[in-house]
Amino acid sequence: MRRPALLPAPSTWRALGQTLFLLLFLTLFVTTDYAGVDELNWAVNLLFRIDPFLAAAAMLAARAVIALMLPALLTLGLTLLFGRFFCGWVCPMGSLIDASRRLVGRATTTLPQPGRRHLKYLLLLFLLTAACLGLPLAGYLDPFSLLVRGLTFSVQPALDHAATILFTWTYQQAPDWVNAATEPAYALLKRSILPFSAKIYNLSVLSLFLLLAVLGLSRLEPRFFCRKVCPLGALLALTARFSLFRLRGGSAECGRCTQCRLVCPMAAIGESREIATAECTLCLDCVSHCPRSRIGYGLKRVAAANGQAATNGQTANLSRRAILASLAAGALAPLALPSRPLARHGDPQLIRPPGALAEPDFLDLCLRCGECMKVCIGNALHAAWLEAGLEGVFTPRLIGRLGYCEYNCTLCGQVCPSGAIKKLGRIDKQAVIIGRAHFDKNRCLPYASGTPCIVCEEHCPTPDKAIKFREIETENSKGERVLVRQPYVVDDLCIGCGICENKCPLDGAAAILVTSAGESRHRHLFRQDGY
Amino acid sequence: MNRRQFIRDVLLWSAGATLAVPRFTVLAETLAEDAPQPLLGVAKGGDYGALVTRVLQPLGGMGRFVRPGDRVVVKPNIGWDRNPEQGANTHPQVVQAVVRQALAAGAKKVLVFDRTCNEQRRCYANSGIERAVRDLNDSRAVIEHIDQRKFVPVDIARGKALTRWEIYKDALDCDCYINLPVAKHHGLSRLTLGLKNTMGVIGGNRGSLHHDLGQSLADLATVVRPRLTLIDATRILLDNGPQGGNLADVRRMDTLIAAIDPVAADAYATTLFDLQPEAIASTVAAHALGLGEMALDRITVMEA
Repeated sequence: MRRPALLPAPSTWRALGQTLFLLLFLTLFVTTDYAGVDELNWAVNLLFRIDPFLAAAAMLAARAVIALMLPALLTLGLTLLFGRFFCGWVCPMGSLIDASRRLVGRATTTLPQPGRRHLKYLLLLFLLTAACLGLPLAGYLDPFSLLVRGLTFSVQPALDHAATILFTWTYQQAPDWVNAATEPAYALLKRSILPFSAKIYNLSVLSLFLLLAVLGLSRLEPRFFCRKVCPLGALLALTARFSLFRLRGGSAECGRCTQCRLVCPMAAIGESREIATAECTLCLDCVSHCPRSRIGYGLKRVAAANGQAATNGQTANLSRRAILASLAAGALAPLALPSRPLARHGDPQLIRPPGALAEPDFLDLCLRCGECMKVCIGNALHAAWLEAGLEGVFTPRLIGRLGYCEYNCTLCGQVCPSGAIKKLGRIDKQAVIIGRAHFDKNRCLPYASGTPCIVCEEHCPTPDKAIKFREIETENSKGERVLVRQPYVVDDLCIGCGICENKCPLDGAAAILVTSAGESRHRHLFRQDGY
Repeated sequence: MNRRQFIRDVLLWSAGATLAVPRFTVLAETLAEDAPQPLLGVAKGGDYGALVTRVLQPLGGMGRFVRPGDRVVVKPNIGWDRNPEQGANTHPQVVQAVVRQALAAGAKKVLVFDRTCNEQRRCYANSGIERAVRDLNDSRAVIEHIDQRKFVPVDIARGKALTRWEIYKDALDCDCYINLPVAKHHGLSRLTLGLKNTMGVIGGNRGSLHHDLGQSLADLATVVRPRLTLIDATRILLDNGPQGGNLADVRRMDTLIAAIDPVAADAYATTLFDLQPEAIASTVAAHALGLGEMALDRITVMEA
C-alpha cells in the first residue's frame, strides 16, 4: 500500500495543519486590540479557554467551576478520542518549536532516549497540588502563557521598533519614488501585524528570554520542552493513554530497520517499535518514513488485535516516591506564604486592573497570559515583578507613570480568559475604584514654586472632576505675589485611573501619584488579622 | 559589492543621515503680509451644514480661503474620548460641512487630524469625526492619526515664552490651514477657544506649556497661522472642561463664529460665556503681540 507519488506525505498534511493553526493563533493575537468599537469580538483568549491544564489549575485554585474555561473539556474529549494531536497539530508553541528547529541547530541523531520525560508529570502534579492549596504557579510554565507573554512584551514591540527605524529613515532620507512604495507598505504593516502605537512593557527582556529558552532547549533534544517540561502536554499525555484512535507501530518483524525511532521527535517509539500513545503527538513523521508503510492510524482494539503490546508501558515509569514528593512539595510550599509581610499589607504600588477580583482570588484565577496587557489601550498594565510575591510575577499591575486606564475602555475585562478580571460594562467599570491619587506638594509646581500648571485637573476624566483647585494668593519662586490655582484630590470622586500621574509634565517622578489605597475590591468586609 | 564599494556606500548614506531633521523657520515678512481685518461672522441655527455656509458668507464664502488645487488642513478639536453631545470635541457635522465646502472650493486634498489627549483611536471614533469625514466618500478628504515623523522643530522668532518647539509639518506647509475649535470651559485658562486649539498640532511635552499658557499660546500663534478660524459653539461646555462628560454642564447654542482674525474670534467667543476678552490670558497676550484685535467695539460682527 504505497502512497501514490503525487499525494503529499502524511507528515506534510500535519505541517500544513500546524501552519493553519499557527496563522489562526497569530491572527487572534493581533486582533486582541481595540478595533474602533467598545466590544471586542475576537481575541486570543480563545486559546486559553481550551487549555485544560490552565482550566484545571484555575478551577482547583478557585474551588469552583469556571464556566469561561469549560471549552477546555472539548480538548480533553478530543484527546480521549484521537490522542495527543493537540501537541502535534494545534499548539502554536509546538509549531514554533518545530519551525525554529533548523535555526536552533539539530540535536544529536543517535537513537532517542526516553530520558527524564516523567519530569513533566511530576511538574503537573506539583503545579496542580500547589494551585489547589494556595500557590498558583501554573501560568509560569503553560506554553500559551509563555508564548503570548513573549510575543506581547517583546517580539511585537521589537518588530514595531524595527519598522519605525526603517520607515522613519526612508521618510526622511529617501526620494519620493522610494516612499511611493515604502509608505503604503508601512501603512499595510500598521494595519496588520504592528501594534497601533509603540508600546513598552515591564519584564519584556525576561519574557523574551523565557520564550527563546523554550525554543532553544530543542538543541538538546527535539521538542525538549514538549517531552519533558510542558505541564499541558503532561495532562494531554495522561488523557491520550486511553485514546480510542492511535498509531499502530511496527513490530519485532521489522528487523534492524529503525527509521521510525530515528525520526520520532518525541522519542515515543520503543525498541520493539511499539508506540507510546501518551508520548505520541501524531506528527506522522514515522508514517512518512516507514519504508514498508507498516505504521497506520486506527482504532485501539484493532491495534490490540494486531498483536501490539499494551502501549502504556513507557509512560508508567513514574516512581511512587517521585509522585509523593511532588504532591508533598505542592502541599507544603503554600505554607511558606502567610509569613510574608504582603500577606498582611499588600504593596501600595500594586494597582490591579478595574474589575480584578480580591487579591487572593485574583492570583488564583490569573493565568499570567499577558492578554490584558496586550489589549490595554493606555499601555497602563504591566507585568508585576515581586510586588505581589513570587507567585505574582507576570500578573498585571497599573503603572501610572507609564500609562493610564482609559476612562471609557473595558477591554481588559473582555479578554481575560478566566474571569480574574471581571467583564464589566462601561458604567460599572467607571464605578470601580482601583486606587487613589495624592499630591507630592514638595514637587507639585503650584505648591512648590507658585507656577501655574494643573495639567492633572485638565485630564481628570470623571464628569465631576476628582481633581479640583483653589485659587490662592502666594509668593512664587521669583518673589512675586501671584494668584495660582492649587490642585487637590477629592477622594470620593477619584477612581485611581492614573491619567494625572501619567500626564504630569514634571521630569522624572510625577507630583501626583496613585496608590492602591481605597481600591474597591475586597474579599472580606473585615480584616482577618485582628485589628 | 566589494569592500571599497561598501565603505563608499556607508559613507554616502551616513553622511545623508546627518542632514536628517529639517529645521523650519517661518519668516516674519511672510507673517506680516496682511494684518487681518477684525471682521467676524456669527450665525445661529440647527442645520449645521447650512450654518457653515451662512457663517462664511460675510467673509466671502469658502472660496475666499480655499483656492482650487490647495492642500487644506482642517484642525478640529478631537482631544477627548467623548461623544458629540458632551461638547468636548468639535461637532462632527460641523467638521463634515467645512471639509465638504473645502472640497467644493476645489481643494486638492483636505487633511483632518488632531493630537489627542485620550487614546487617539477612541477619540477619532467616539467624537464621530472619523466617520463624518469618511462618510463624505471623497478620496481627497483624509483623516489621519498623528504621525510622529511629521513633527519638525520650529524657531519661534517672536516668541516670549517659547522660542522653539516641535510642530506638525502639515500645519505649517499646507496652503490653507483652517482652525476649527470647540468653545468650552478649561480649568487653567478658563476657556479653550481658537488659540488653545493649536496645542493639537504641536509635539513634545505639551503640559509644560501650562506654566505660562497664555503667552505660550500667543507665541505659537506667531507661527501657526490659520487662514480661517471657525469656532464651534453649537454646544458649549460650562464646567468640568475641557473634557466634560456631564450633560448638565453642556449648553446648546447652535452658534458658529467665523473670522480671519484669530484673536477677534476668541475675543467674541468669550462673550458667549458671559466673560470679557480680558479674562483670557492667551487673547490678551496675542493682542499684545499684534496678532489681532480683542476690543469688542472694534470688531465688526456680521450676523448671518
